[in-house]
Amino acid sequence: MKPLKFTLKEAPRQRVGLSALIPDRLHGMRRTAIARIKLQCGNHKVTVGDLFSISGNDAQHLQLHGDLGKFDDIGMDMGSGSVTVRGRVGQRLGAAMRGGQIVVQGDAGDWLGANMHGGLIEVHGNTGNQVGGARPGEVHGMDGGTILVTGNAGMRVGDRMRRGMIILKGSAGDYCGARMLAGTILACGTSGDFVGSGMKRGTVILARRPERITATFNNCGVLKMQFLRLLFQHLTRTYPHLSELRGRGPLCERYCGDLATGGKGELMILSAAYSD
Amino acid sequence: MKINGVEIENTFAEAFPMKAARLIITAINHKWAHHAANSLSGFATSVIGCGCEAGIERELDTRHTPDGRPGISVLIFSTSTKQLAEQVLKRVGQSVMTTVTAACYSGLRTPDRIPLGKSLRFFGDGHQISKLLDGTRYWRVPVMHGEFMCEESASVVKAVGGGNFLIFAKSSGHGLSACEKAIKAIKKIPGVVTPFPGGVVGSGSKVGSKYKFLSASTNHLYCPTLKGKVKNSVLSADVGSVLEVVIDGLDERSVGEAMRVGIRAACVPGPRRGIYRIGAGNYGGKLGPYHFHLHKILK
Repeated sequence: MKPLKFTLKEAPRQRVGLSALIPDRLHGMRRTAIARIKLQCGNHKVTVGDLFSISGNDAQHLQLHGDLGKFDDIGMDMGSGSVTVRGRVGQRLGAAMRGGQIVVQGDAGDWLGANMHGGLIEVHGNTGNQVGGARPGEVHGMDGGTILVTGNAGMRVGDRMRRGMIILKGSAGDYCGARMLAGTILACGTSGDFVGSGMKRGTVILARRPERITATFNNCGVLKMQFLRLLFQHLTRTYPHLSELRGRGPLCERYCGDLATGGKGELMILSAAYSD
Repeated sequence: MKINGVEIENTFAEAFPMKAARLIITAINHKWAHHAANSLSGFATSVIGCGCEAGIERELDTRHTPDGRPGISVLIFSTSTKQLAEQVLKRVGQSVMTTVTAACYSGLRTPDRIPLGKSLRFFGDGHQISKLLDGTRYWRVPVMHGEFMCEESASVVKAVGGGNFLIFAKSSGHGLSACEKAIKAIKKIPGVVTPFPGGVVGSGSKVGSKYKFLSASTNHLYCPTLKGKVKNSVLSADVGSVLEVVIDGLDERSVGEAMRVGIRAACVPGPRRGIYRIGAGNYGGKLGPYHFHLHKILK
């Protein structure tokens, strides 16, 4: 069986919601029926067949080819299977995803993995703001699963996240881990201001010391955190492209905070432990 | 049947169903992992008196532990899941958590689980932190040496306890030399432990006693000092010591294999070096469902 492949014929003029194309929904459908699925495009409807040429037959493994920068909600609510995208994607990729795997070979827009519950999202490129965050109207951000970004992310990574893990091989913008309830964020590059601002619990691990640390975080000193060994062992064994984490930790500078909101969260800065 | 001139009795070892857990203990180095593992598996020779039977299965290198540190695999057996849970919790809490740099993880992955960090976390007095990695929850308990890492729960599996064989020797010294060879061979078999000191029982028991308050007493028919006193002693004139090797394992096949390699190794000294006979302990086949017939497993 060959993966069900959708190749973009022509970029649409308006944004398109692509939440209909998930393995759970396409299972057992013929290509002709899939081509007739209606999609919202701006203020009107189009069919899948209008936008994509379709080949292959394995609906558990979807491939999307083309510049999909105007396509939002790819893999939304997905529960199983895999979606591979070769090209840019729009907003809310993998939002509220429950399981399965999404791999994007390109950049992703805002709200990547927002309100995600489970599964794995890999973006081999940069992402916009609010990675793993809470969509408007939602109380919490992601509460399960793993998001792995090889490039940089915008502002508010993991905003109000409750559980799960976000790994950035690149840098994070301002307010990384702000208002976190729990979970783990790892940024291998630089990070902006207000890291962990308002976080209640959870862990933000930074490879490099940010320029400023919010005043409501207190220094616990340079410590050997055995948890980092466990985490990095887990990550390097699970994700081969994170092999550079092997040998990092357990030494780090630990800050507890945000003391304005209970102080049960923590920042761990890896480079600071070695700089003195 | 004879192996290297040593007579193998046509009898069988009778073993019992147990519940078992495998714990992985890691530490800064093997020395400190051993300190924790030895403490945890100390006073765990027999479920009758200790509540559980436990032993070190093997050393683990950094590639085979969850946190990439040197580790020790410990097997712990008890008669029920409830009793096993009690013993594991007490022993991990008092022996592993108290060992500097030690951490504790489950070495098995089955749905039947008993609490580990789930209960021990309360030692953190509200400062404990939970982490979920790939569906497995870990607890980070702040302690004076740093942080005690512990998996939330440990898997429990059905297991086999009480596999055994008896070595009839000229003296205890001769018997020990055979036992040491047997234990060395058994150590290479995964999934089994020999819970008694050095792997050898020097005072095997029988069920019951002349005293009403005692449920087990010395196996007088096998005591060399009572040869001339008790009726039906099973010892011939040349036997001056009987040593027993008890094996607990995660499954019947492992226990049988451990008995096979252990007996073969014990026969190596032969009669000229004081090893005369190999037997096994049973209760007539009425108590335990697992029967390891010596002639069958040594074929």
